[in-house]
Amino acid sequence: MKIRLTVNGLAYERDCAEHKTLLRFLREDLGLIGTKEGCGMGECGACTVILNGRAVNSCMVLAVEADGAAIATIEGEASGPSLSDIQKAFQRNHAVQCGFCTAGMVMSVKELLSTTPGPSVDQVKDAIEGNFCRCTGYTQIIEAVMELTGHPETKGELEHV
Amino acid sequence: MVYEFRYLAPKTAAELAATLDDVKSDGKLLAGGTDLIPNIRNGMLKPRVVVDIKKYEGAGRLAFGSDGLTMGPAVTINDLLRSKDARERYPVLCSCAHELASHQIRNRATVAGNVVNASPCSDMAPALLCLGARAVLRSATGERVVPFSQFFAGVKKTVLAQGEFLSMIVVPAESAGTSGNYLKLKRIAGHDLGIVGVLMTRQDGRIRFGVSSAAPTPVLVDTVSEKDDPDEAARKVLAAVLPISDVRGTKEYREHMIGVYARRLFTEVK
Repeated sequence: MKIRLTVNGLAYERDCAEHKTLLRFLREDLGLIGTKEGCGMGECGACTVILNGRAVNSCMVLAVEADGAAIATIEGEASGPSLSDIQKAFQRNHAVQCGFCTAGMVMSVKELLSTTPGPSVDQVKDAIEGNFCRCTGYTQIIEAVMELTGHPETKGELEHV
Repeated sequence: MVYEFRYLAPKTAAELAATLDDVKSDGKLLAGGTDLIPNIRNGMLKPRVVVDIKKYEGAGRLAFGSDGLTMGPAVTINDLLRSKDARERYPVLCSCAHELASHQIRNRATVAGNVVNASPCSDMAPALLCLGARAVLRSATGERVVPFSQFFAGVKKTVLAQGEFLSMIVVPAESAGTSGNYLKLKRIAGHDLGIVGVLMTRQDGRIRFGVSSAAPTPVLVDTVSEKDDPDEAARKVLAAVLPISDVRGTKEYREHMIGVYARRLFTEVK
């Protein structure tokens, strides 16, 4: 089936197998391999992309369902060598270790900040509850968001594990 | 996915009904996809045709009228949570919606899919049962209305016949303003399937309990009265459920926690 969609502001038109997930389409057909496949079952959030403004697990969306959609992936964050504000905040706060969850984590944070520019710690936790990180213990990730949004005083209140 | 199927996206409700009539048992309806797609991936389901229910006009409609709240089959859990009217008029619906899975899944999963899937651990079912909601079922030959109290037929089974789809959920206007709270026991603080879930609602002195993960279907209990004490209320709730032991918890643990939650809610929900 022929589909047209926009990814990170670029328009694509492709013939796509009807059973292909959006995740596979992004990685295999468009070569955008920044989005990761973790569990492939909607548990881990590594494949999170933004579909028409909403963070979704791209492993549970068919590419053909996204016909006509606007999608944002991790590749749309950095501009050349310059990281996005969210990425810089992750870097400053040691919110990345192995990096496997990072692409999805950044997209979940991006959706949160697009609707809630000054989130509380609980709102950040809600936004990333579907993103598993097995390295950082989440604390540095939450601190990165709080620092970015102007609540650096949260640092020290969160328990490091 | 290795498994291949055809994808159809009817553009009107009539076309959808005709498509379902045509594909019969070879077809599976796709709403949010958060159950269907993983189940195809892991080989549990092998439909030849996947029929997208979201693309017809009006499928995503969430509206308030003299009937109450109506939701088309493409309304997602987060569409409901983002609606200020829904939060103010049907807080019970929203407290259950918020407990469902994770943020990304709530952006995709639909209210209709959560009940059509008919999992015993459905989070939306307790709210729809307690609020007296109805399901409008449509097919190529017509339409019928079924109250959710008669909708669930067993584990993963509903009264939906082949060729029928859930075209609308109606939450009656009379149940607007019902107060209540949903307590869900999970292994982890984040998203998880429930071990048990207990909702208590109260409106004009009428008390109802909706219980998930405690029987083959979600359960409605409307035998509890204002005059009961918390122990009597818990006894009545427990009399209506039939928990099993499984990978998430034992029968005994479930019974104990349903009692704990029923007593707590009976005292707290005003």
